[in-house]
Amino acid sequence: MSTDATWRTVDAVDPATSSFPALVRLGDERVIILRTPKGYRGVEPRCPHLQAALTTAVQMSNGSMLRCTRHNFIFRLSDGKGVNCVGLRLKVYEVRESEDGRLEVQI
Amino acid sequence: MKTTSDFVLRGGRVLDASQGLDGVMDVVVVDGRIAGVGQHGAPAGCELIDVSGCIVSAGWIDNHVHTYGTLGFADPDSIGIWQGVTSYVDAGGPGIASMDEFVALLGGQTVADLYAGPYIRPMGIIGAQFTEGDIRSLTGFPIPEWLDFMDAHPGVIRYLKVAALGSYGAGPLRMAKGLAEIIDVPLYGHIGEFQMQREDPSAYELFRISQAGDMIAHPYHNSGGGILDADGRLLPVVADAKARGVLFDIAFGSYNFSWDVAEKAMAQGLPPDIISSDLQQFNAIGPAYSLSHVMSVLLRLGLTLPQVVEAVTWAPAKALRIDDRAGSLKTGMPADITVSRLEAGRFEFADTSGVMRDASERFVPVRVFKRGRPHPIDLARCQDEKNWLLQIAEDHVPAAAQALDARQKGFLRSLRRALERTHWVYDLDHLDLRKAHELRAVFDGVRAQHDLPLREALLTVYAPFLDNPFTMQIGLFLLHLERPFLLERLDAVTGNEAVAA
Repeated sequence: MSTDATWRTVDAVDPATSSFPALVRLGDERVIILRTPKGYRGVEPRCPHLQAALTTAVQMSNGSMLRCTRHNFIFRLSDGKGVNCVGLRLKVYEVRESEDGRLEVQI
Repeated sequence: MKTTSDFVLRGGRVLDASQGLDGVMDVVVVDGRIAGVGQHGAPAGCELIDVSGCIVSAGWIDNHVHTYGTLGFADPDSIGIWQGVTSYVDAGGPGIASMDEFVALLGGQTVADLYAGPYIRPMGIIGAQFTEGDIRSLTGFPIPEWLDFMDAHPGVIRYLKVAALGSYGAGPLRMAKGLAEIIDVPLYGHIGEFQMQREDPSAYELFRISQAGDMIAHPYHNSGGGILDADGRLLPVVADAKARGVLFDIAFGSYNFSWDVAEKAMAQGLPPDIISSDLQQFNAIGPAYSLSHVMSVLLRLGLTLPQVVEAVTWAPAKALRIDDRAGSLKTGMPADITVSRLEAGRFEFADTSGVMRDASERFVPVRVFKRGRPHPIDLARCQDEKNWLLQIAEDHVPAAAQALDARQKGFLRSLRRALERTHWVYDLDHLDLRKAHELRAVFDGVRAQHDLPLREALLTVYAPFLDNPFTMQIGLFLLHLERPFLLERLDAVTGNEAVAA
């Protein structure tokens, strides 16, 4: 993980009331925030295969993987590695909940 | 021992292009073979099966599926007999350097007859997006090995597959045509799927070099290098190929069927000759689903019912040169029969770009017989995630590993020692195919020492890593695993605690 990454607060999303996945803008970056059984996770907004929007992507295997519904390419949420598509990697982001209940994304 | 019961299918509309039949008549099956079609009295002791309102045809043939390798399924029957298909062809999963693995793992293992259309790359299809279209991935054309395989396994290989992709240019296409002539099988050329590849006009070389009986897959794709010009007119090079007798195979797949292209092609007199699904891990849950779904799409496109049925029976049987055993209800043929019906309703059929067309009917297979034996139908069986998602069990040791015997563990221990002396890095961007071949050689060397049959050795190596019995070229499989994890897992499974600790 990059050492110069910083935690950015997500103002537009409230974990208590927002629906997920949530597409958020953080400066120049756009991130989709997912709620998984293991907590929150961020991914880039488009599939690295053919740039299909991942807002309709489906979680699999107890939230450990994400399936792009366009061509069923599947990525591991822990590190973004392509599960059924070697040679492709999805950009993933750490997401945490701060003490005051807001989400923070490590960019 | 008699293994099948005799029966008569009565009341269905029999469609058999091999005999020019279209009408309501009986199909009589005795001892697993067609005993007659027409108005027959049922032989004594024959079961009478009412198939009124149904279509009765020779068993469906899927000319293009993926059962083996990185696109294949844990249960290849799930896209075969369970979907009403009695013969099918793996389109490019193996190459000449993995045909032995294909035969060891899948030969005789499926209810439907499975044939191979190997890829010209010795490894076969590798599924790595960036590597697939790299000309340097075509690591050899070993003519003696191709000829030796044809001698040792006559009838397994039914066509030779090549793709117009990426940086190939026209050279590999011509070389593949030459190799197809040498081993005396049709050339099966893939066009389309240029989304991640540099568009290359050499795709049209496929139309030029293909001769009568050669096949071109994915004619109705809408990527670069298509069959229409910018104004939607059929290109002369394509029309010329059609006129020469080159066969066009739908091969629906994940990327390669466009309503727009198909409708324009049909309007200009380019119907497909063969309908195939191109089913693979990526499209069994849509948009391909099944051969019957693709048949429904072609019916909606405007093919007649007899044309659709011929395109999955007699047409592929002739193209594959299996018309002596499949695709026909002639007396004496093996009783491979698919009974289907047209279900009325309101349906939406998506092409591979997500463009929809409304439809009012669809094919549903309702009965299938392989050599006279009935088999259940379940179109959705292939959609089980465990069947189409090849996953390495990273966080647990699969149950199959617990069942390995001492001899198999001994083999794995030796393999582990040999692999420890071999170094590789799994690089996402530069898949080292030479290393994959080297790992296959390491595997072969250890197997020879242990005198383990190929099938058993392959399953033994898969066991510590796969919950479900997927197949993959063993060199690629080992390369694909991260080396430290591979060695650690082999230690854990073989009880090599000294090293594992």
